[in-house]
Amino acid sequence: MQDVVSLVLNALTLISILMIVALGLAIVFGLMNIINMAHGEFVTLGAFTLSLVQSLGGSYWMALVIAPLVGATLGAILERGLIRFLYARPLAAILATWGVSLIVQQVLQLTFGAAPIAASGPFEGSVKILGASYPAYRLLLIALAFATVAFVIWVMKRTRFGLDLRAVIQSREIAQTLGIDAGRIATLAFAGGTAIAALAGVLVAPLTKVIALMGANYLAPSFFVVIVGGAGSLPGVIAGSTVVGGLETVLNYQVPVTLSQALVLITAVIIVRFRPRGLIPA
Amino acid sequence: MTASTLPAVRRRAGEWGWIGLAFAFLALLACWPLWSDDYGLSVVRDILVFGLLALSLDYLWGKAGVLSFGHAAFFGIGAYSMAIFGPLAAGAGANAATVGLLAGLAIAAAVAGLIGYFLLFGGVRGPYFTIVTLAVSLVAQHIAIGWSEVTGGDAGLIGAPPPGLEIGGFSVLLFDAASLYYLVLVIVTAVLLGLWVALRGRYGRALAAIQDNELRAQTLGYNTSAYLLLVFVISSALAALAGGLYASLSSYVAPDLVGLFLSTEVIVWVAVGGRGTLVGPVIGAFLVIRLQQEVSSIDFKIWPLFVGLFFVAMVFLFPRGLLPLLVQAVRRLLRSEVSR
Repeated sequence: MQDVVSLVLNALTLISILMIVALGLAIVFGLMNIINMAHGEFVTLGAFTLSLVQSLGGSYWMALVIAPLVGATLGAILERGLIRFLYARPLAAILATWGVSLIVQQVLQLTFGAAPIAASGPFEGSVKILGASYPAYRLLLIALAFATVAFVIWVMKRTRFGLDLRAVIQSREIAQTLGIDAGRIATLAFAGGTAIAALAGVLVAPLTKVIALMGANYLAPSFFVVIVGGAGSLPGVIAGSTVVGGLETVLNYQVPVTLSQALVLITAVIIVRFRPRGLIPA
Repeated sequence: MTASTLPAVRRRAGEWGWIGLAFAFLALLACWPLWSDDYGLSVVRDILVFGLLALSLDYLWGKAGVLSFGHAAFFGIGAYSMAIFGPLAAGAGANAATVGLLAGLAIAAAVAGLIGYFLLFGGVRGPYFTIVTLAVSLVAQHIAIGWSEVTGGDAGLIGAPPPGLEIGGFSVLLFDAASLYYLVLVIVTAVLLGLWVALRGRYGRALAAIQDNELRAQTLGYNTSAYLLLVFVISSALAALAGGLYASLSSYVAPDLVGLFLSTEVIVWVAVGGRGTLVGPVIGAFLVIRLQQEVSSIDFKIWPLFVGLFFVAMVFLFPRGLLPLLVQAVRRLLRSEVSR
């Protein structure tokens, strides 16, 4: 029983992380057909924000507010300054954002060094759930991740901005003829996606080594999520995270990490053959 | 109409310029041993192997329009197969390296065939395909580092056999700098020539048509998925050939041969040389690796920063590559000479 509980909670932790990292990527891909290779670096920037805020005497909760603002600002700059010129050239956008990703990595590494920097959670200790002891911080992470996803669903379904956004995803041209400023929507959606990525950075920072190159570790799994789940759909992101995160957690108990990653890749590739638009397409 | 918007089918105008450049370049390389010492030969030889890797990506990206972020993975499969199967085949005598090479080619082709079949026949194209190849690269890197009983982990493997051949009573093992250099040069020239001959006719036209408008090519009766799959498999096998050669020549492999960063660098070589020009990417590898050595001698940490800035600049300033700009400028100069 205890084993089952901790297995489920471990899977939930990984699913939560995947979900919020992939959320922004999936929205941007579904909306503009742009793959943001620098998405992982926004996770890194969020984690570095936490570390900086804490070293300046601020609290974890303060960073939780500041990091999304940092992510949104830098994301908006990236979209306005670079990506909006490349909407017609998706492969060029991949190369350009990959360049941005390398630049951010190196600038961070030259500024802060290659060694891990300190970042800690708001509290220590563990909680007993159904007889199994589990770190309290991970439970907070799961709760915040699900709250974020719920918030994004609310924005998408219940606000004017969400309506406009869904209209642009369905057909940019028709949305524009109805008077929707697609360029503005794109900037806001992109900034929103990078803000969530930065938030994810704060959430994962206490669990991992905060280094300049950490973003790459999140880029590939979140691509798996988008490929398996379907680009541009929230249910797709949730389904994709569940498949990828669940599978990886279960496999990690049985086989070495390298093999489980390869198996997840193979599964993703096979799913793509039969569901080319993902499990739950937009 | 600017060059970058010209359909791939019609991008043939400058072909004679590129053929001339290829001849000049290969002739220069063939004469290089007359000047160089052994060390210089080994430096150029290693760059040529990377040039072969760039050539294999150009076949896929330049000629079929499929961008792969995973070519280092196939290079790595070739290299590791050489270092793993080569020593196992010590009984084969001088053929040990040949066994390692063939194993690498077979594994790379099988992996590419499997991934390519599921993706290409599933209708995965463009950016989607690219991100899956990126994932392939990451997984390959993790396997190279993590599966240390077989791959040696971070330390890598030593003892890849030197190139050789044994047929009947005839046996030759290559050790000296000049023969190794010419071996690589002959292989690169053969692949270059082979691809050029294969692509200059109907087959190349079909690939260009798929690149410009796949639906239209399908309507004309081409099985486009099969075409792309074949290109992907051959291109991956060529990358493995380069990897196997590299391992055999240096008798050492390490995880950075599979890394995502090498995949990135191959794209830079092809982009600098001009994609779709075949010889361009080989020359591109020379130019970029020379530059890398210069930059790294100042501070080796700033090279990735350089590569990042290059990508951003390329997309906006020279989407068709640096070398094509140069070739165009020379051609314009010649034309104005003639008309005068």
